[in-house]
Amino acid sequence: MMSGYWIPIAIFLPILGGVLIPLIGFSRAKTREIYVLSVVLATSLLTAGLMIAPPEGAVSVVSITRTIDIAFYVDGLGTVFGVLVTFLWPLATLYAFEYMAHEHRRNTFFAYYTMTYGLTLGIAFSANLITMYLFCELLTLVTLPLITHTRTKAAYVAGVKYLIYFVAGATAAFVGIILFFVNGGGLDFVPGGLSAGTVDMAPGILGASFLLMFFGFGAKAAIFPVQDWLPSAGVAPTPVTALLHAVAVVKSGVFAIARLTYYSFGAAPLEGTLVQKIALSFAIFTILYGAIMAWKEVHFKRRLAYSTISNLSYMIFGILLLTPAGLVAGLLHMLFHGIMKIALFFVAGAVACQSGLHYVTDLRGYGRRMPRTFAAFTMASLSLMGVAPLCGFMSKWYLAQAAVARGGVYAYLGLGALLVAAVFTAIYLLTIVLRAYFPQKGYEAAGRPEAKDPGLYMQIPLGIFALAVVLLGLFAWPVAEWIRSAVAGTFI
Amino acid sequence: MQEAPFVLLMLTDSLTLAFRADVLGLAFLTLALLMWTAVGIYALRYKDHQENNGRFFAFYLLTLVMLVGLSLAANYVTMYLFFEMMTLCSVPLVLHNGSAEASSAAKKYLFYSIFGATLGLLGLFFIHAYSISSDFLPGGVLDAAKIAGNEEMLRTIAFLAVMGFGAKAGLFPLHAWLPAAHPVAPSPASAVLSGVITKAGVFCIIRVIYFQFGAAFLRDTWVQRSWIAVALLTILMGSLMAFREKRLKTRLAYSTVSQVSYILLGLFFLNEAAFAGALLHVLYHSILKDGLFLSAGNILYQTHLENVEELKGLGRQMPRTLGCFAIFSLGLTGIPPFAGFLSKWELAAGALSSGLLPYAWLAPAVLLISAMLTAGYLFPIVIHGFFPGRAYRSEGPDTGEAPVAMVGVVGALAAATVVLGLFGAPILKFFLDLAGTIFL
Amino acid sequence: MNLLYNVPAFSILLPMLAGVICLVLPARASRRLSNTVIVVLALLSFLLLNSFLDGAPTFTYRMGHYGAPIGNEIRAGELESAMAMMFLVVMMLSLMGGRNHLRSDIGRSKVNLYYISVLFLLSSMLALTYTNDLFTAYVFVEINTVTACGIIISKEDGYTLAASMRYLIMSLLGSGLFLIGICLVYGLTGHLLMPNIQEAVNQLVQNGHYQAPLQVTIALFAVGLALKSALWPFHSWLPDAHSSASAASSAILSGLVLKSFIFLMIKIFFRTVGPDVMTGHAILNLLLVFGVLGMLLGSVNALFEKDIKRMLAFSSVSQIGYIFCGIGLGTIAGVSAALVQVVVHAVTKAMLFIAAGGLMDASGGRKDFDALQGAGKRDIVAGAAFVVGTMSMIGLPFFAGFITKLTLVTAAAGTHDWRTYVSLAAIVVSTILTAIYYIRVLSLLFGRNGSEEQDGEVRGRRFLSAYLRRHLSMDTEYILAILAFIGINLWIGLRSDDLVDIINAGLATFQ
Repeated sequence: MMSGYWIPIAIFLPILGGVLIPLIGFSRAKTREIYVLSVVLATSLLTAGLMIAPPEGAVSVVSITRTIDIAFYVDGLGTVFGVLVTFLWPLATLYAFEYMAHEHRRNTFFAYYTMTYGLTLGIAFSANLITMYLFCELLTLVTLPLITHTRTKAAYVAGVKYLIYFVAGATAAFVGIILFFVNGGGLDFVPGGLSAGTVDMAPGILGASFLLMFFGFGAKAAIFPVQDWLPSAGVAPTPVTALLHAVAVVKSGVFAIARLTYYSFGAAPLEGTLVQKIALSFAIFTILYGAIMAWKEVHFKRRLAYSTISNLSYMIFGILLLTPAGLVAGLLHMLFHGIMKIALFFVAGAVACQSGLHYVTDLRGYGRRMPRTFAAFTMASLSLMGVAPLCGFMSKWYLAQAAVARGGVYAYLGLGALLVAAVFTAIYLLTIVLRAYFPQKGYEAAGRPEAKDPGLYMQIPLGIFALAVVLLGLFAWPVAEWIRSAVAGTFI
Repeated sequence: MQEAPFVLLMLTDSLTLAFRADVLGLAFLTLALLMWTAVGIYALRYKDHQENNGRFFAFYLLTLVMLVGLSLAANYVTMYLFFEMMTLCSVPLVLHNGSAEASSAAKKYLFYSIFGATLGLLGLFFIHAYSISSDFLPGGVLDAAKIAGNEEMLRTIAFLAVMGFGAKAGLFPLHAWLPAAHPVAPSPASAVLSGVITKAGVFCIIRVIYFQFGAAFLRDTWVQRSWIAVALLTILMGSLMAFREKRLKTRLAYSTVSQVSYILLGLFFLNEAAFAGALLHVLYHSILKDGLFLSAGNILYQTHLENVEELKGLGRQMPRTLGCFAIFSLGLTGIPPFAGFLSKWELAAGALSSGLLPYAWLAPAVLLISAMLTAGYLFPIVIHGFFPGRAYRSEGPDTGEAPVAMVGVVGALAAATVVLGLFGAPILKFFLDLAGTIFL
Repeated sequence: MNLLYNVPAFSILLPMLAGVICLVLPARASRRLSNTVIVVLALLSFLLLNSFLDGAPTFTYRMGHYGAPIGNEIRAGELESAMAMMFLVVMMLSLMGGRNHLRSDIGRSKVNLYYISVLFLLSSMLALTYTNDLFTAYVFVEINTVTACGIIISKEDGYTLAASMRYLIMSLLGSGLFLIGICLVYGLTGHLLMPNIQEAVNQLVQNGHYQAPLQVTIALFAVGLALKSALWPFHSWLPDAHSSASAASSAILSGLVLKSFIFLMIKIFFRTVGPDVMTGHAILNLLLVFGVLGMLLGSVNALFEKDIKRMLAFSSVSQIGYIFCGIGLGTIAGVSAALVQVVVHAVTKAMLFIAAGGLMDASGGRKDFDALQGAGKRDIVAGAAFVVGTMSMIGLPFFAGFITKLTLVTAAAGTHDWRTYVSLAAIVVSTILTAIYYIRVLSLLFGRNGSEEQDGEVRGRRFLSAYLRRHLSMDTEYILAILAFIGINLWIGLRSDDLVDIINAGLATFQ
C-alpha cells in the first residue's frame, strides 16, 4: 500500500511538468517530446501504482476554511476513471507529437496539454465536492487555450462559448454544493451518500441542489441543453478534440455526475424523485438529439462530436437508473466509448493532417490510400455500432439489461432511445466506411489531395485501439465484474 | 433431447456465442449452400459482364459464411450477430456497380436492415431478461415466473422483433429496400438476395417465434392477428406493385415481397400444416426466384434490356431462357405439378384449419387473388416473348442465346422445379415431421 | 492596554498633522513621512486588534469635553480595528506600487500636495471607521469627498478634471442627502450619538410615532451613502474618475474610499437605526435589487470596454454590487459576507489597478487593448498579478474571491425566499460575465507579443533574466507591492477562517 502523499504528487507532477515547458523553452522538437513523454509516463506509472495499491483514507492537502479542504483519495470509482485516463494519455501524447509537427507554438500547447493530465487526475481522485469543483474549474481554464490554439476567428468564438458554458456550469454547481452543504449534506464523498448518514433533507432542497450540480457538472458531459460547446470545440487541433473532448473533459463530467449521485446524494434518496425523472428525460433526449444531429452533420469531426454527445448520455442514463446494474453499465460504456471515440477522432485527425480534408463527403476512396487508418476506423465503427462481440456491443448490452431489469416508463423510453440511436449510429458511421472503400463510379482519384497512412506515432495508438476494441469486447465480462466490485458499497 | 451447443465464446455468464446443428438449421444451411453454389457457377460466367470481380466474389463468399453462422446459431445473440454481419457483407454486393442509383439503394438497404435488426435486438434484450435459458428451445424459453404481469409488454416486444426481422423478409412496412436494391445489384446478387437472404429473415422469425417466445404464448392474441393482417397486406400489395412495374428486375423484386409473405403467413398461423407449407415454400420460392432472376440476368447479359415491354419477341433469340422463365412462372403461380403448387395448397389448408376467423377463409382468398396477379405479371412476358404478334418487327441485333454455363444453371433450376414439384409430397412430409418436433 | 485606547484618536489626528507638515516638505520627504505615518498606524491598529482578539472589550472614547447629545465619540472593537488595518495596509501598498506614476503623472513639484490629500483622505477614512456619532461622520464624509477629488485632479489632464467634477457633483448630492438625514434624525430624536439615537428610534417604533419621517430618514441615509459608494444606478461617476486618475489613486479610490462609505452605512444600520428596525425593512430589499442590477450591469458594461482601466472600474461597480447584495439579504450572514467582500475587493482591485499601471508602462503609456497586446509578457510581475486577480474575480478556490463567493452564496442560501433565487441567479450570471472579460484580457496580455521569438515561443530563461535586469533596480517597490498583494490574496484564500472569525466577532458586538 502506497502512502497517501503520492496522490498529490501524482497529480502535481504533470502540472509542474507542464508549467516548466515554456519556462525551459525547448527549441528542438525531439527534446521536448522526450521530456513530455517522460513526464506523462512517470505520472501514469505512479498513478497505476496508486490504483493497484491504494492508500487508506483521504489525504488533505490544504485547508481553505475550517470546513472546506482540498483532499484526495483513491477509491473504486476513481480507479475506474483513472484507469481510462492513465492508459490513454501516453498514447494520445504520441499521437499529438506527430499531429502537432506542423503547428506553431508547440511549447505552449504541450504545457497546457500536460497540465490537463494532472487536473483530470485531480478530478478522479477528489475526496470532496469542493476539490472536485476546484479541479473542474481549473480544467476549464487550462483547456481554454488549447481550444483557441489556432487563433482563428472560429477558434476564439468556440473559446468564448466554451468559457460561458463551463463557468456557468461550475458556478451553478457551486451554488448547488453550498445549498446542499448548508442544509445538512456532507461535502466529503461517502459511498451511499446521504443514506450513509442520518440526514433528512427537504425534498425541495435535495432536488434543487441535485439539479444544479447535475447540470452544472453535466455541462462537461454535454447533456442537453448545455451541449452546444462540444461541436464548436472541433476547431481545436485533433489531439485536443480526441483526448479532451472524447475522454478527459467529457468523461470527467460523467464521472462527476456518478460521483455526486452515488457518493454525495445516494441512490436511495434520489430513487423515484422528480429530479431523477428530469435527469433521465434530458439524458434520453440527448441520446436521440446527438444521434440525429450526427447523422445530419457532414463535417467529420463535428459528426463525431455529436456522436460523443449522444454516447455520453448513454452513460448518464445508466448512472441515473440508480441500480447497481445501471451504474456498472454506465461506467462500462464510459471506458469503452472512450477508447472507441478516441480512435475515431484520431482517424479524422490523421486524414485532415495528411490530406487537409474535413468533410465526410470528401472521403471517397481514401480507404484504399490509407488502408491501416481506415481499417482502424472500421473496427471502431463496428464496435460503436454495436456489432458483437466487440466492446461497443457489450456496453450497450449491459445498459439494455440494466434498463430492462429496472423496468418502468423511463427505463423503456431510454431503451427505445438507445435502439433508435443505434440505427442512426450505424448509418452515420457506415456511410463513411462505405464511401471510403466503395467510391462511386466516375470517381476521379487523380484530382484529390494525396494521402497515405500516417507515421508510426499515429499508427501505433490506432493499432492498439483497434486491438483493444476486440479484446475488451471478448473480456467485457471480467471488466464489468471488476467495475462491480470497485463500486460495491455504494448501494445502502 | 438436444445435444449441448458448441460454445465458441463466453461473453458474460449468460451470454455466449454458441452453435448447434439442429434439423431446421441444417435444412436452411443446405438450401443456402445449394443456391449459393448454383448461382456461383452462374456468376463465374456472368462476371465477364462486370468489373471488380475480386471484391464481388469476396463479399459473395463472406455473406455465405455469415449465413452458415446464422443457420447454426444456438442462441439469439449468436443469430443476431450473424444476421448483422450478413447485412454488412451483402451491402457491397448491392453497391457493386458503383452508380449513384446503387449508392442510394445500398443506403436504403442498410437503413432498413439495420432498423429491422435493431428491433430484433430489442427482442434479444427482453428475451434474455425474461427467459430460463438463452438457447433456442422448441416451444420457447420464457420463464413463467418472471413474465407474470408483463405478458402484454412481452407480446409487444415479440411483435416488434418479428416486424424487425421481417424487414429482411420484405414485410410491410419495411419492404421498400427490396425494389430499390434488386435492380441495381448484379444479377447473381439479386438472385441470392431474393432467394436466400430474405429467407434469412424468415429463419430468424421462425427462431424467434417458435424457439424463443413459443407458439403457445402468441396463439390467438392480437399479435398473431396483426401479423397475419400485415402479411396478407404485403402479399396483395406486392403482387399489385409487381403487376404495375415495368422494369423486369423490380417486378421480380416486388414479387419476392409478395411471395415471401406467403411464407410468413404460414408461419404466423402457428399450426403444423401452415408451418410445413411455409417451409416448403421457402424451398420452392428460392429455386423459382433464383431461376427468374438468373433468367433476367441472361437477358441483361445478352441484350442489356431492362424493361418488360422491350422483351417482345425475345423468344426468337433466347428460346431456352424464356422457356425456363415460363416454367418458373408456372411454378410461381402455383400450377401443378410444378414446384409451388403444393406449398400454396398446404398453406391454404393450414389457414383453413386454424380456426382463426376471419383469416381462416380470408387467407386462402388472398392467396388465390395473388396467384392470379402473379400469372398476370409473369405470363405476359412469356407470351409476348414467344408470340409478339404480327405488328412486331425485331429491332436491335440478334445476339443469340446466353452462354452455355448460364443457360445450364437456369435449366438445372427449371429441372429442379419440375422434379421437386412432382416429388413434393415426401418433402412436405419431411417438413411436417419437423413441425411436429417444434410444436410441443 | 490603556495606551491602546488612544489608538483610534491617534489614527485620526496623526495623519492630519502629518498632512499639514507636508505643506512645507519636498517630495521625497513628504513621501517618507507619509509612509512612516501609515506604517506606524498600521502597527498600532494591529496591536489594538490583537488586544480585542485576546478578549479586551470594545470601548468608546469621548473626544473633547462635550457629552451627549452633541459630543463626539469614538468606538473601537474587532471590526473597526480590522477595517482600519486593512485600509492602512492597502493604502501603503497602493502608494508603493503607484509611486512611479506619481512622478510621471503629477510632476515633482506637486508630489507633496498629493501626499497631503492622501493623508487627509486616510484620516477621514479612519475617522469614518471609528466614529460613533453622526456629526463627526458628516464632517469627515465631506473631507473624504474633497480629498478624493484632490487625488484625482492631481494628475492634470482634461479627463481628470471632468471626471472629478462629475464625482464632486454626485458625491456632494450624496453628502447633502446624508446631511438632511442627520438633521431629520436630530429633529426626531434629539441626539447625535449613535447608541442614543438607537434607543430613541426603538422607542419611536414602539410608540408608533413619526413612522413616515423615520422611513424617510433611513432612505436618505441609504441613498446618500449609496451615491457615494457607487451603487447602481448611482455609479455613473465612477468609471471616469477611476480610470482617468493615476494608478495609485485609482487603487485607493476603488479599493478604499468606496468601502469607507459602505462601512459607515453598515454602522448606521446597525448602531443608529438598530437591527430590530432594519431586519425586514424595505430599504434592504431595494439595496438588494440595486446590488443585483449592479452586479449584472456593471459586468455587462465591462464586457464592452476597450480600455483596461475603464474595464476595471466597471468591474468595481459589479463587485460593489456583491456587497450590497450581501447587505440587502438582511441577515447577519449577509452582512458578514458583505464585509468579507469589502476586504477581498479592496485587496484585489487595488492590486489590479497597480498592475494595470505597470502594464500601461510596458505599452508606452497607453491603456487601450490594442496597445496592451502581450504586455503581460513584457511586465511579468503585472501579468502574474493579473492572473491572480482574474482567478480571484472568478472565484477559484485558493484565492480570496472564492471566500467571497462562498460566504455570499451560503448567506443567500440561508434566506428562504425570493432573495435566495435572485441573488444566486445574479451570482451565476455575474461570474460568467466576469470570467469572460477578465480571461479575454488575460489572453490579450499573454497573447501576441510585439517581438515574437522564433516559433512564437516565450524563451523562459533568457527572458526572465532580461526582465529582472531591466526592472529590479528601479522598481523594487512596485514589485514588492504587487508580490505583497498577491501574498495577501492567497493568504485570505487559504486562511480565511481568521478573517471571517474577526468579522463575525466584530458584528456580534457591533451595536
